[in-house]
Amino acid sequence: MIDAIKNRAISIRRVFAGRKVAALGAIWLCIVLVAAVFAPWVAPFDPLEIDPVARLTEPGAPYLFGTDHFGRDTFSRALHGARMAILIGVGSVLIALILGGLVGMLSAYFTKLGHVLMRAVDVLMAFPALLLALVLMTLLERSVANTIIVIGLVYAATTSRILFGMTLKLKNDVFIDAARCSGAGHFSLLFRHILPNLLSPLLVQATFIFAFAQLQAAALDFLGLGLPPEVPSWGNMLSEERIYITRAPWLLLFPGLLIIFSVFSVNLVGDAMRDSLDPRFKDDIAGV
Amino acid sequence: MALLEVENLEIAVAGQSEWLPVVEDCSFSVDNNQTLGIVGESGCGKSLTAMAIMGLLEQSQVNITNGKIWLDGENLLDMSAGDRRRIMGDTMSMIFQEPMTSLNPVYRIGDQIVEALRQHRKMTSAEYRTRALQLLEMVNIPDFQQRINSYPHQLSGGQRQRVMIAMALSCDPKLLIADEPTTALDVTVQNEVLELMLDLQRRTGTAIILISHDMGVIAQTCDEVAVMYRGRIIESSTTAGLFANVLHPYTRGLLNSIPAIDSETEWLDAIPGRVPMLEEKLSGCAFHPRCSYSQPKCADTLPAALSIGESHLVRCHFAGELEL
Repeated sequence: MIDAIKNRAISIRRVFAGRKVAALGAIWLCIVLVAAVFAPWVAPFDPLEIDPVARLTEPGAPYLFGTDHFGRDTFSRALHGARMAILIGVGSVLIALILGGLVGMLSAYFTKLGHVLMRAVDVLMAFPALLLALVLMTLLERSVANTIIVIGLVYAATTSRILFGMTLKLKNDVFIDAARCSGAGHFSLLFRHILPNLLSPLLVQATFIFAFAQLQAAALDFLGLGLPPEVPSWGNMLSEERIYITRAPWLLLFPGLLIIFSVFSVNLVGDAMRDSLDPRFKDDIAGV
Repeated sequence: MALLEVENLEIAVAGQSEWLPVVEDCSFSVDNNQTLGIVGESGCGKSLTAMAIMGLLEQSQVNITNGKIWLDGENLLDMSAGDRRRIMGDTMSMIFQEPMTSLNPVYRIGDQIVEALRQHRKMTSAEYRTRALQLLEMVNIPDFQQRINSYPHQLSGGQRQRVMIAMALSCDPKLLIADEPTTALDVTVQNEVLELMLDLQRRTGTAIILISHDMGVIAQTCDEVAVMYRGRIIESSTTAGLFANVLHPYTRGLLNSIPAIDSETEWLDAIPGRVPMLEEKLSGCAFHPRCSYSQPKCADTLPAALSIGESHLVRCHFAGELEL
């Protein structure tokens, strides 16, 4: 048990050894995660509480990040926004990877099925990501769940394309023939022999989608088609306060910076993880 | 009946407009404790024959158009895919040419070796582990207790090929097909790997089909030899019988192209020309355009398989008449 924990600690150290910026990114993500989990208890004010007297207060003593035009505390809203960011990121990554991964792998493995499925994917890919998300959102009600599903669907298309190509290459590798020789069936070939080889591109794809989901969600919020307006999210904050950019620039500065830092961090951590988790990128000898 | 009997096997690949035959009228058999060598130049159908036996042919590209493959009295070609899978890796297994790419890069070799066992035998994970260690020791992996945790990329080519052999032998197969197992290895390692296979055969009685284009390897390891040219077995015999009495000009050509250590010749006798392309239609004996003994008859009629002496078959109109 202690050994297992020690091993885990060593592998985390290995991921970030010599990658200081990525380590900073990881620390930042941890802070966002903590903020997301403990937002209701850490936030000094209720994110929805309106205080007309204190509207557009500059950042300072009680209001760390200032207040918006309803007098709501920007800091508390940002903390709750972290919740939405994580929720949307994780949710859309899961949908995109599971759906896109399945479509891509099955299409490449079963050629005839692939002809049909990949043409459908081509249709989805013909639209720019944001446009597709916009179209789908106009058809649906504004809600957290729908935003997650739509963003997940949009990125499932790209994911399936990538996994399609990689599976196509892998399924012709000699070691897959070797696995067939040992009596492995379709299920086992796909999920035990091919899938583990796709984990590192999947991981990269996951971080990429997580980052883009943030941007996409922020863009949808900004255009008024994402999360319902009463939900405190970084994108909604930008959208609502944009007209006050000259009078109260901090209202846009803080949520903007939060989005930028989070997206950067996710990408950096993703790269670091890819480089160190794939056994082929490792140069050490097992057991050392 | 022998353990494996291949009868009139015929394989065709998808050409641009029609199916092109790549293996025709191919028959041979192997029994327990026996090693059959299949030799020939690249593109003569050796590997396809092996894959047909193993059941690895992709149906849309390659088709078995005729013939029977009997293993232990059952025709493999009549079996359902599921029944086939139950045999693959258990009763028969295969070693591939490329030790560099035939192991899954993301699994530790200890887990990979027992893959076939996992498919065919239910055991506890401790038992799998014990079996993996036992197999690694059997194939002489140095430091096997540590090596069991290595990833394939941490092993050398020779070690990987040993791991492949260990993998193929995990279920004690009755038939082992080795498709050019030593081609990618250097000569000293080649020898060790061949010795290892023969040693394992002595212990377990496995039948081996060894595919190679190296007559030296065949001479060293096999009991029987089949020489293939453009999809047909043109000469087959016991190894001793073949080397004592070569009857087909092609076989002679293959043997002449091996440098002899004690001769002073400056030039090796290569066989002129190349193996004809699949699209090229050939009448008569497929070897006649390259054969220095070729007569008009050779271009007209396909030579039948002549039986000469005990268990020596040859497809040549002039078998026995030529001074080879």
